[in-house]
Amino acid sequence: MFYFRFLKSIFYTSLPIIFLYFFSFYHFQIPEVGKINFFAFNFQMILIYFYVLKFPDNLGYGNIFLAGIINDTVLGIPLGTTSLSYLSLSLFTSYIRNATIRPVITSEWFMFIPALFFSNFVYLIIINNFSNISFFYLELLQNTFFTFLFFPIFHYIFSQYQRSISKE
Amino acid sequence: MSDNRDDFIIAIRYALLKKGAKQKFSLFFLIILSVLIITLDKISLPLMTPIRATLNDVVYHVSVISSQPAKLKNYVSKKIKIHFNVLDENKKLKREMEFLKKQKFNNAYLSSENDILKDALNFSNIKNFEQNFSILAKVILDQQSPFLKSILINKGTKRGVTKGMTVFHKDYLMGIVTETNFLSSRVLLLTDLNSKLPVVIEGTDVNAILEGTGKKLKLHLSYLPENYEIEADKTIFTSGKGGFLPPGIPLATTYLNKKNKVLIKLLGDPDQALIVNVTNGQVNQ
Repeated sequence: MFYFRFLKSIFYTSLPIIFLYFFSFYHFQIPEVGKINFFAFNFQMILIYFYVLKFPDNLGYGNIFLAGIINDTVLGIPLGTTSLSYLSLSLFTSYIRNATIRPVITSEWFMFIPALFFSNFVYLIIINNFSNISFFYLELLQNTFFTFLFFPIFHYIFSQYQRSISKE
Repeated sequence: MSDNRDDFIIAIRYALLKKGAKQKFSLFFLIILSVLIITLDKISLPLMTPIRATLNDVVYHVSVISSQPAKLKNYVSKKIKIHFNVLDENKKLKREMEFLKKQKFNNAYLSSENDILKDALNFSNIKNFEQNFSILAKVILDQQSPFLKSILINKGTKRGVTKGMTVFHKDYLMGIVTETNFLSSRVLLLTDLNSKLPVVIEGTDVNAILEGTGKKLKLHLSYLPENYEIEADKTIFTSGKGGFLPPGIPLATTYLNKKNKVLIKLLGDPDQALIVNVTNGQVNQ
């Protein structure tokens, strides 16, 4: 019984990591997303931003780095690009966490804009300088916009989840 | 100003170098590692190729495994869709089957009706008298009173049906037109109490009047000669007296019942009449 509870608590606390790896390994394809492709957003970025900001102990930087490497491998872009992008986001988020005295959801939400732009900026610089890959900037902008837009929803979900596991 | 800058530097340094209680690597270290990997990947060192190949293999395989839930979801949704399609198809087929069944019944009905009509037409050709009027009519109403035996047909004066015309079903006389309307007529059946026809018994010259009793298996012969004993299995024909009907039309037959009593029954069955032939019954010249 004790072991079961222990394993259950490990599973609950590791769930963000599992999600991070899962979405790094598995990318939704356009036909699967179908009609909602327009609303595509970067779930990993929301996850990283939230957990580095609110629960840094639940999502290690090492995992973020590794998830980025996996993402690069799956997408076929230069190794380390997404890792660096995620780590830039983590750096920015970590700075926000240290600089913020009273965390409020609205300020966290709006601080997500520079965090996203900083992260995407790093991503773009690496892609443009270290590879010959070309992509649609508008799509990236659209993706970033919806990532920003959906943040409060996931903020609420993750907060509720963390509250429920802390009760147990 | 310098305080702000100091704060910023402290916050950045804190963010880069501070490891949490459960953090194994600092951000600074991982960022340097990322830059190093990017550089090595860009330079394409011989060492990087097998590492990259191995990593690709591992990640691709794990990626394939991680995509299984989505594939399963697609498979399940496809199966569910097929299942509902099968259900819809089943319903559609059931409806189609019902429709075809109805069609089959309808066809059977039409076929039997066709046979009846053919018989009726055939009757017009084979009977031993001819008439200058013959029309097919459909029985639209069958009166089920115990004594009053009449039917309504769907032809009337509009189609030339007049009072007194004879009505045949198959080869047998079944009644006389007693009432005509514009679109319908009433036929008094031989079984009706009011039906009285001059007849002659087969193999004899005995004339009589065939009267209805309301029962098709129990007609009555009146005005028979005195002490005349009617025999079984004799056919009764029309005598043609009065010129109302041509002679020689078979109407009824005699038979023995269970009590060995001779009774008279109609040759035709008016209850089974669906299509009838209305004629004026003129004697063949």
